[in-house]
Amino acid sequence: MATPAKTPAGADPKQLERTGSVREIGSQAVWSLSSCKPGFGVDQLRDDNLETYWQSDGSQPHLVNIQFRRKTTVKMLCIYADYKSDESYTPSKISVRVGNNFHNLQEIRQLEMVEPSGWIHIPLCDLVKGPIRTFMIQIAVLANHQNGRDTHMRQIKVYTPVDDTSVGKFPRCTTVDFMMYWTMR
Amino acid sequence: MCLCVFALNSFGILPLEPSPGDPTYLQNYGHSGSGMEPPPAAGPPKKSVARINQVGTKSVFTQSGNSREVIPMPFNPTQTTAPQTSTTPQVLSPTIAAPPNVQPRRSSRLFTSASSTAKENSKKLKMKFPTKIPNRKTKTKTGKGGMTPSNLNESIELLKLDSSISEGKGSLGSSQLQAFTLQKAAADGLMSLMRDIGRGYVALCSYNCKEAINILSQLPTHHYNTGWVLNQIGRAHFELAEYTQAERIFSEVRRIESYRVEGMEIYSTTLWHLQKDVALSALSKDLTDMDKNSPEPWCVAGNCFSLQREHDIAIKFFTRAIQVDPGFAYAYTLLGHELVLTEELEKALGCFRNAIRLNKRHYNAWYGLGMIYYKQEKFNLAEIHFKKALSINPQSSVLLCHIGVVQHALKKSDHALETLNKAIGIDPKNPLCKFHRASILFASEKYKAALQELEELKQIVPKESLVYFLIGKVYKKLGQTHLALMNFSWAMDLDPKGANNQIKEAIDKRYLPDDEEPVTPEDYPYYSTDMEESQESSMTDADDTQLHTAESDEVL
Repeated sequence: MATPAKTPAGADPKQLERTGSVREIGSQAVWSLSSCKPGFGVDQLRDDNLETYWQSDGSQPHLVNIQFRRKTTVKMLCIYADYKSDESYTPSKISVRVGNNFHNLQEIRQLEMVEPSGWIHIPLCDLVKGPIRTFMIQIAVLANHQNGRDTHMRQIKVYTPVDDTSVGKFPRCTTVDFMMYWTMR
Repeated sequence: MCLCVFALNSFGILPLEPSPGDPTYLQNYGHSGSGMEPPPAAGPPKKSVARINQVGTKSVFTQSGNSREVIPMPFNPTQTTAPQTSTTPQVLSPTIAAPPNVQPRRSSRLFTSASSTAKENSKKLKMKFPTKIPNRKTKTKTGKGGMTPSNLNESIELLKLDSSISEGKGSLGSSQLQAFTLQKAAADGLMSLMRDIGRGYVALCSYNCKEAINILSQLPTHHYNTGWVLNQIGRAHFELAEYTQAERIFSEVRRIESYRVEGMEIYSTTLWHLQKDVALSALSKDLTDMDKNSPEPWCVAGNCFSLQREHDIAIKFFTRAIQVDPGFAYAYTLLGHELVLTEELEKALGCFRNAIRLNKRHYNAWYGLGMIYYKQEKFNLAEIHFKKALSINPQSSVLLCHIGVVQHALKKSDHALETLNKAIGIDPKNPLCKFHRASILFASEKYKAALQELEELKQIVPKESLVYFLIGKVYKKLGQTHLALMNFSWAMDLDPKGANNQIKEAIDKRYLPDDEEPVTPEDYPYYSTDMEESQESSMTDADDTQLHTAESDEVL
């Protein structure tokens, strides 16, 4: 097969948040890593800063575990990966697993990235039921570019769909005239 | 004797003459008035009230002048000529052709600008006997200007004067009585102003908002154009859900009294409803710069971030507002709303309950509780709480709308329709009531009525995608698939992002077997969905190729 096309970068997830259709819920979860180099851990992964990153320090697969207090609807994940800055540390094969706990995980997505250069959006939609509902998500880095051993991950965001049905089971309205009367404050 | 005559001009009750001859009306008690000039013989003409008003833009209740001590000054002739400046304390009606030697009353400062009368009093004769009635009543009714002990002393002195008058002592005579009548008239004027304002306020507090606006609009202009009155009017419009007018009035308040923080939280919520983020962030910056120690600026900041959908930051600001003033119920309500938006329903319940603990008549908090129970599908509880909110604020069409929807969820569709009819009766401009009525009619299978409702709604709000979405669903039920699809496509055009899933699903259901007509999919390539949908199996391969728009873009 010819050289595979580079994975295109998705849009900045902040813009998604501003549409009001999704909400970032990483702060409601407990994050843990399979390994990390001191000073390059969970805080750097979740600090909204694309300059800092998590660097793993063990054997593959490298894992990021996200555990919620309660079963949460997750619509998508966004991972920031940049081949130009991370070279061989850039993940190339990522597997997403969900379940109730560590013993109950099931892979639902596997994705290959070729020289990514920005945000990668991973929608986690069940076939019939829409966004998945889960207690735990595990992101496994199975392989890196150029067969690197350790990986860098700069930022990960978890999004849930906003349930905006304040009254009635209707989708969001679009005009201010409607929105004004939708709710009271 | 000294009698103080003060201006009723500001009440529009009696015209005043800011005449240079006023000092001639002043006279020290006991002096024979040797030094006094006779008042202008013709009787002071009714001069316009403009001279007071031009500086008297402060409200009646800025009683800064009243805090000054009464300094009884000996009568001297110079005083009669000195204060030729404008806004001398005014004499009452010209019918009192020449009340000789009457001093200006301290409370004249109530009705003229505090600054000018303060100057006046330093130059002019000091009042010895300010009116007892207005001062006292002013003290109890408004409490805003802050009456001081000096006023009390004056009141007591006046009491003595009054009693002396009634005893008809000394050389009092008709001038004394006239002055007393003036006092009384002035007091009446003040009383009627207070009464009007009070009536307006009562109407507002019982959420009889249209009445409140009427009453308050009838106040004289220079009382109307004050921060407090305009604030109440703005709030009345807000409670009526007339957000554009409310915004206009509040911006006027900001222009007149840019230092005012009270009531700004309602202004910020108005801007939040109107989604005017620039104005809201400017307001937030101004207020937080100005005053970090009152809860209102923090509430404004919280609203600003909430509009930007940064709910965590908004929560932080509302918590700060609560820290600054734990008795400010509205901050709890706003915090509750933010917590609902971040799906922390238990904490939100706690916040709303706190708000109710602080103020039982805070109907917003009752509404918030109802919303949470509605989200948790506890419809009975939701209805109870909404009804409680409605009992406090009976003219809110939004509340009635919510009650209608809840009743429909409880399967009491007839009640629901009645409630919605009432809501539309109260506020015909509320498009949501019609929308919900149409949706209930649709659910009760009264398609024609629903369609009619929706057509009317289309005229009112032509750009709302939900309207077309519902019309499409109605047509689909009626079997008119072309019209249905047309409306769905319009709905999608108007809102490609948010309503995407539901509209797409609605369109996809077209391909399920219950539809009679076989629809050729290539007619509708536009409606291809992303690959996660299961219904795609019923679509042809031709459509599949169009699905691979980068998924990452799909959600945008």
